[in-house]
Amino acid sequence: MKWTKRGLLFEPQKHALPNGCTDFAQSPQAIVFDDFVRIYFSTRSRDAGGQYLSQIAFVDVDRDLRQVLRVSTDPVIALGGLGCFDEHGIFPFHVLRHDGAIHAFTSGWSRRVSVPVETAIGLAVSRDDGLTFERVGPGPVMAPTPREPFLVGDPFVVVRDGLWRMWYIYGTSWIESPEDPGPARVYKIAAATSRDGIEWIRDGATIIPDVLGPHECQALPTVIEVDGVWHMYFCYRQATDFRSNPDRGYRLGHASSTDRRLWVRDDREGGLEVSATGWDSEMLCYPHTFWCDGQAYLLYNGNAFGRQGFGVAVMERG
Amino acid sequence: MTFTWRKLGHLFNPATITRPDWMVEFAQAPATLIFDKFVRVYFSCRPPADAAGQYVSRAAYVDLNRSNLFEVVGLSEQPLLELGGKGAFDEFGTYPMSVIRHDGEVHAYYGGWTRCVSVPFDVAIGRAVSGDEGASFTKTGQGPVLGASLHEPFVISGPKIRRFGDLWSLWYIAGVKWIPTETRAEPVYRIRMATSRDGVNFERHGRELIPVRIEADECQASPDVIFANGRYHMFFCYRHSIGYRGKEKGYRIGYATSSDLLNWTRDDARAGIDVSETGWDAEMISYPHVFELDGRTLMLYLGNQVGRAGFGLAELEGTLS
Repeated sequence: MKWTKRGLLFEPQKHALPNGCTDFAQSPQAIVFDDFVRIYFSTRSRDAGGQYLSQIAFVDVDRDLRQVLRVSTDPVIALGGLGCFDEHGIFPFHVLRHDGAIHAFTSGWSRRVSVPVETAIGLAVSRDDGLTFERVGPGPVMAPTPREPFLVGDPFVVVRDGLWRMWYIYGTSWIESPEDPGPARVYKIAAATSRDGIEWIRDGATIIPDVLGPHECQALPTVIEVDGVWHMYFCYRQATDFRSNPDRGYRLGHASSTDRRLWVRDDREGGLEVSATGWDSEMLCYPHTFWCDGQAYLLYNGNAFGRQGFGVAVMERG
Repeated sequence: MTFTWRKLGHLFNPATITRPDWMVEFAQAPATLIFDKFVRVYFSCRPPADAAGQYVSRAAYVDLNRSNLFEVVGLSEQPLLELGGKGAFDEFGTYPMSVIRHDGEVHAYYGGWTRCVSVPFDVAIGRAVSGDEGASFTKTGQGPVLGASLHEPFVISGPKIRRFGDLWSLWYIAGVKWIPTETRAEPVYRIRMATSRDGVNFERHGRELIPVRIEADECQASPDVIFANGRYHMFFCYRHSIGYRGKEKGYRIGYATSSDLLNWTRDDARAGIDVSETGWDAEMISYPHVFELDGRTLMLYLGNQVGRAGFGLAELEGTLS
C-alpha cells in the first residue's frame, strides 16, 4: 500500500470546542455527507478534581479533505451517569449509517482504584443526522466475559447483508513495570459478529499475531476494502515506557484478509511510517480508513496521542 | 393456606469458634449443599478491615451435623475462591456464592467485587467449578459470566443458581441507579432472572421480577427460589435505599409466588418471619436461603448488621402452597 501524507488536517487549539475543550483531537472517525465529511473525535475537558474527561466533538471538512468548514458548537453526547461504564469519558466514538440513522459505538471509560481505568463498548443513535446522540441504554453492549476480562473497547463496525461485524480490543493483563508509575495495560484485537448490533457473539480469540512479544499492545482496528481485499490498520506499541520514549510508542500496523476472518499481518506492507520531523515524527496512532469520491483516506494521530490534532493521508493507487 | 417460620436459634457465629484470620467476622449469604452425614453451608466472611476501613469478602463453608445442625463438624481451611488478578472484576472480594450439584461436579456462581472511584464498588457474577464435592473451586474464566449490559448498567450481584428441568435458572440483582449522599453513593438494585442451556451463556429475562413496595428506590436482594406443591416460592430481602443500617429502614424478608418462574406475585404479609423482640435478629433479617432436609423445610437467614454475627435457623410450620 502506498500513501501520501498531507499533514495535519485539524488542530483543536485553533478552534472553539464544546465543553471548554482545548487540547486533543483523538481517534478521528469519519462519515460522509452530501456536501461535507463529518469527522468525530475525542477531545478533553477537566473535571472538578482536574482530571481529564474525554468528550466527543466533530469537525466538518470539504469532500476533498482539505478545508475545515465548521466545528460542533454543542455537546454531541453527554457522558454517562454516576457509576456507569462511560461516566469519565468516551474515546473513541465510531459512527456508521444503518437503517436511516447514524449509529455510534462508544468506548466508555470509568475510573478504578487498583488500576486507572476500565472500558466497555456502548451504543448510541442519532435522530438529527449526527448532531446529537441518545444512548440505546445506560449500560454497555460489549463488556467483559470469562475470556475477555477487562478493557473491552475500540469498536469498528461494518454491516453487510444483515451481518454486523465488529473489530475491537480487549485487555489480557495489567502488568507492573519499573518505568511506569502505575500498572500498565496489555490489549489485543479481536472480532465479533451480531444480527442486531446489540447481542454480539465472540470467542475471546485474538486475530492479529504479535510482533513485539506477548506484551505488545494493539489498538484501534479500522478495516477498508480495496480491490476485493480487506485491509486492517491498527496501532501497536510496547506495553511500558511508551509515552515519552519514541522508540517504544505507537506505530501503525497492517494486516490483510480475503475473507474478513483470517488476517495476515505485514506492517511494512501498510506503507505508513513516522515522519523525519514534525507533528508525526515520534508516534503514529488511532488510524481510521474510509472511502470518499473514489479516494481512500486514512486519518490518524501523531505525537503525544493526538494532543495537536489529526492528519490525513491519501492512498496512491497504481 | 398460611405458614410461619419457627425460629430455632442463632445457628452459626464465626466469632464463637476457633477460626482462621480471614474469617474474623461475618457469615453472610448462607447457601447449602447436603451430604449424607452433614450439611455444608457456604457463606461469605471477612478478615479485618484495612487501614481505610475497607473489607475484602472471602468464601468459606461450615459443615453442620445433619442430625443436629447446631453442631459444627467441619470448617473450610482456606478461602474457596481466589481473588481476581489486578484489574479483574473480582479483585476485591467474592460475595455472595451460590452452589449446585450437576454431573458429578459442584458449580458455584458468585459476586465478584471491584473498587471504583466515583462510586465505592461494582459487582459482576463469576463462575467456578469443584471436582471434589465442593471442598475447593476453580474459576472457569478471568472475567464474569454475567456482567453489565445495555439495560443492566452495574451491580450485577447476588446470584442464586437453580436447575428446573433442563434449564439453568439464575436469579440475581441488577443495579438501577446510584444515589449520591454526603458520605458515599448508595446503589439501588432489584431482582432479575436469566436462563441458560449450558450454565455459561445466559439469556437475560430483561425486567424486574418483583414490584417495589416500601419506596420507589427499594433495594431487593437474595432471591431464593424453591419449588413446592406445584408452585415456585421466592423468599428474598428488601430494605430502604438510605438509612438502612438501623432497625426502622433495614432489611426484612419478603415473599412471592409464581407458576412459571417469570411472573411473580409479591405478598410479604405471607412471608411468615419477622424481626425478633430482642437479640441477634431484632433489628433486621435478610438473605434467606430455604432448603429441604429429611422431611423438613428450613430457612437460614442473617440478623442484625447483615450477618456480622452469622446466621440463624428457622423451620417451616404449615405448607408452602
